[in-house]
Amino acid sequence: MSMALFSPPIPTHLPTLSPKPNFTLKPSLFLRSKKHQLLLLSAKATENGAGTSTSATTVEPEKAEEKAPEAAVLDSQPNGAAAAGDVVLVTKFEDLKWVGGTWDLKQFETDGKTNWDAVIDAEVRRRKWLEDNPESSSNDDPVVFDTSIIPWWAWIKRFHLPEAELLNGRAAMIGFFMAYLVDSLTGVGLVDQMGNFFCKTLLFVAVVGVLLIRKNEDLETLKKLVDETTFYDKQWQASWQDETPSSSKND
Amino acid sequence: MASISLKTFVGLRQSSSDTYNSGHVFPVKHLPAQPASRGLRIVAGKFSPKVTGRNLRVAVVGGGPAGGSAAETLAKGGIETFLIERKLDNCKPCGGAIPLCMVGEFDLPLDIIDRRVTKMKMISPSNVAVDIGQTLKPHEYIGMVRREVLDSYLRERASASGATVINGLFLKMDAPKGATAPYVLHYTGYDSKTGGVGERRTLEVDAVIGADGANSRVAKFIGAGDYDYAIAFQERIKIPDDKMVYYENLAEMYVGDDVSPDFYGWVFPKCDHVAVGTGTVTHKSDIKKFQLATRLRAKEKILGGKIIRVEAHPIPEHPRPRRLAGRVALVGDAAGYVTKCSGEGIYFAAKSGRMCAEAIVEGSENGKRMVDEGDLRKYLEKWDKTYWPTYKVLDVLQKVFYRSNPAREAFVEMCADEYVQKMTFDSYLYKKVVPGNPLEDLKLAVNTIGSLVRANALRREMDKMSV
Repeated sequence: MSMALFSPPIPTHLPTLSPKPNFTLKPSLFLRSKKHQLLLLSAKATENGAGTSTSATTVEPEKAEEKAPEAAVLDSQPNGAAAAGDVVLVTKFEDLKWVGGTWDLKQFETDGKTNWDAVIDAEVRRRKWLEDNPESSSNDDPVVFDTSIIPWWAWIKRFHLPEAELLNGRAAMIGFFMAYLVDSLTGVGLVDQMGNFFCKTLLFVAVVGVLLIRKNEDLETLKKLVDETTFYDKQWQASWQDETPSSSKND
Repeated sequence: MASISLKTFVGLRQSSSDTYNSGHVFPVKHLPAQPASRGLRIVAGKFSPKVTGRNLRVAVVGGGPAGGSAAETLAKGGIETFLIERKLDNCKPCGGAIPLCMVGEFDLPLDIIDRRVTKMKMISPSNVAVDIGQTLKPHEYIGMVRREVLDSYLRERASASGATVINGLFLKMDAPKGATAPYVLHYTGYDSKTGGVGERRTLEVDAVIGADGANSRVAKFIGAGDYDYAIAFQERIKIPDDKMVYYENLAEMYVGDDVSPDFYGWVFPKCDHVAVGTGTVTHKSDIKKFQLATRLRAKEKILGGKIIRVEAHPIPEHPRPRRLAGRVALVGDAAGYVTKCSGEGIYFAAKSGRMCAEAIVEGSENGKRMVDEGDLRKYLEKWDKTYWPTYKVLDVLQKVFYRSNPAREAFVEMCADEYVQKMTFDSYLYKKVVPGNPLEDLKLAVNTIGSLVRANALRREMDKMSV
């Protein structure tokens, strides 16, 4: 277990392998603001074909301001509502690629292969839209999208690997520093440290710590989790607490 | 499992204020393991004095499912039973769902059941809709009942078995003056002579079963302590017939932060209308907002409906710290036997009433001997042993899947799996936590983790989006 975690080669190679659209899309999401919405639209149009720009014009032609509906999907609703002077029509979630209650994977293809990152982004946008504008669930066009249609490696590449790189880096730094410290204090070299039980325990603690405590708040969260798991049991056991003394209290 | 955790846990009693507590918590260490002490206590019951010249008298306060089934079992066991109910035609606000096993175990006639729900739809925050129920066999269903019909049926049966049904409002109870002295119950009796005002009456009994619901007065009297409770808010809506066809035997569950932060919103079909409601523990003041959101989510399906009734009621979240004191025991909602996650209470109320009554019948040898606290404790022990796994599993499910929107999305995704549906329904309908196929369980665990990870990853992206 420890060997696999300390071998950095795999994560560092990956950035070069990831497809280009991944990199251009992410920065645009981060940099997004109201002024850049049109810029974003045009950037997306070049990536995903002409589909998005046509949707901008057909879905809500009556909206006079420059905030196109595609942008309305991305924007957080309160800003949009405030900007429009007239009645704001909160429409259902609509997207050209959302067909029959799920994402039409054929529309996400680039070079004959499905662009899974774009599917993930589209789903994120849909969920964000729905969270801000909950919709009635309808029997006529039911939603049947299942996130498991996106293959496991797409998830790993996008979400797990950056985090793994971060955690491996932390573990490596801690490991190097602790090995140096122990060596300077006791004179035991790295190879000999690995043979010692106490050092192996320290190693285990370091790995578990890096995995579990990623932010400062995690310490509190872990404590609360431990309390939570046993709280219900305590509530049930309460009736058994006063077994012996209770019989004398009837009078 | 009771004995294992007892050794480490001390101190919950301090928080509940009650008249009976002498003020210090006895350390748990000196208690022997549960079974051994149980053995000693059974013998003690046998040495209780015989009740001469009459049968044991027991009062059941509250005439709902718990009270009705307790009174019937007591009366059948030869005990002089008094069932005190304040409103004999009470139309209790309630979800109204009973599992299949209740019909068999309590010999309920099939005409009590208004509808048989055989399909359920779970709808996630992003409106992903999953149908569950394909794994149900033709004879399996969830029964929807009207509480007034069920409650009065159980009371009639108790009365037919020999219990005396008293229309009265329980006021207070005097503690007995000795180990065999009676409890004196004070209640306001209503009958044709007294009219609406009622008349103060007293009743002397040897033991009391408190089945008077979530705001139990009996519980207050014995210092049972408080519990956390959820507020369930429900609107009965009469919808047009063509829309009612959709809900013929289908119930819906809506999950999402908009609908409830820690529970779910529902559309349950009733006899000729639907009940649309939601509930919450932590944000009770926002319940109207959650109700509006639930109605919005179901809007297309209940369009054109008229609200015919609005009701709300508390749902206990966990048992009271003390469910039993002296010769008074609590059952049903008064004890807090509602499951987490699904909020199911009718079956557990009826079953606990029956179990408590059986313990009394057994401890008193069909009414010949006086009972003592030990006999009543046997009911607690049996109850905890039989149903603790069910409650614990549902608690874990609630903690994992009702935690946040991504968790709910994962929950709905998991419900699409057939194995999950089969396990869920089997354990719901028959109230037994059955260990399934280990290979399938492993696959299920992997899929659950996968769903949770995916949903949470999407959530983090969503958070990045809100600049």
